[in-house]
Amino acid sequence: MTSIVQFLELGLDASALRQKVIANNIANLNTPGFKRSEVKFEDQLKSALGGQAGVSLQATSPNHINSQGSRPGAPTVSQVTNTSNRADGNNVDIELEQVYLAANSIKFQALTQQVSDQFSQLRYVINEGRR
Amino acid sequence: MKVFSGMAISASALTAEKVRIDVVSSNLANINTTRSADGQGPYQPRNVKFQEILDQKNTHGRGVQVSSVYKTDREPRMVYQPEHPDANDDGYVAMPNIDVAAEMVDLITATRSYEANVTVLNASKSMAQKALEIGRG
Repeated sequence: MTSIVQFLELGLDASALRQKVIANNIANLNTPGFKRSEVKFEDQLKSALGGQAGVSLQATSPNHINSQGSRPGAPTVSQVTNTSNRADGNNVDIELEQVYLAANSIKFQALTQQVSDQFSQLRYVINEGRR
Repeated sequence: MKVFSGMAISASALTAEKVRIDVVSSNLANINTTRSADGQGPYQPRNVKFQEILDQKNTHGRGVQVSSVYKTDREPRMVYQPEHPDANDDGYVAMPNIDVAAEMVDLITATRSYEANVTVLNASKSMAQKALEIGRG
């Protein structure tokens, strides 16, 4: 039960981070030279759940850096620098950002709903099936 | 507090776009001003420069700020009006060089951006409210 809530929590954290990144993209809609960022999370989580932790750093010598780094499935923020269809170098597309915003909002609400459901299942069990 | 930092980002954008709209209003209001406040000839149109607010601690930015409101350096329009009190010896008056079409485009851009950021603010707010409902009922 608790591990389900932990995974949902990862999803909620990623969704909240994505909300801030989208807010920053839209806030800088008119800033010259600004490049939009995005949050990558779903692929990381999928590979973490599938047991393949992606490519891990093999330290074959004591001088190698070891990858304590982030826990598996953590979201990463990356800047998208390739596209620019405006004279001022800004590559924020307001329509796309609005769509991402709407999708993220719904995803967040779905996750909070699921977390609530987990807790109400617990409560049901604690009450031994009585209401 | 992390929940409200998303809203602070949108708030910074609302403030910045408001400044831009104020600058446009000022330019359009002074379209016929032949004497500027400092007495140095006609009104010089202003413009704003936006800049992203960066944050070393976070992986994402913290919004946008107006880095400067600067006077543009345009040559004034010379209009032939010999009876005007500010006319020079040849009868020409130096009028501010304001491009109304460009100002209107700036106004529309700023308004659209303002509305988009209000949408983001509402989304952040409803997400925070939804989070409050976890575990309730």
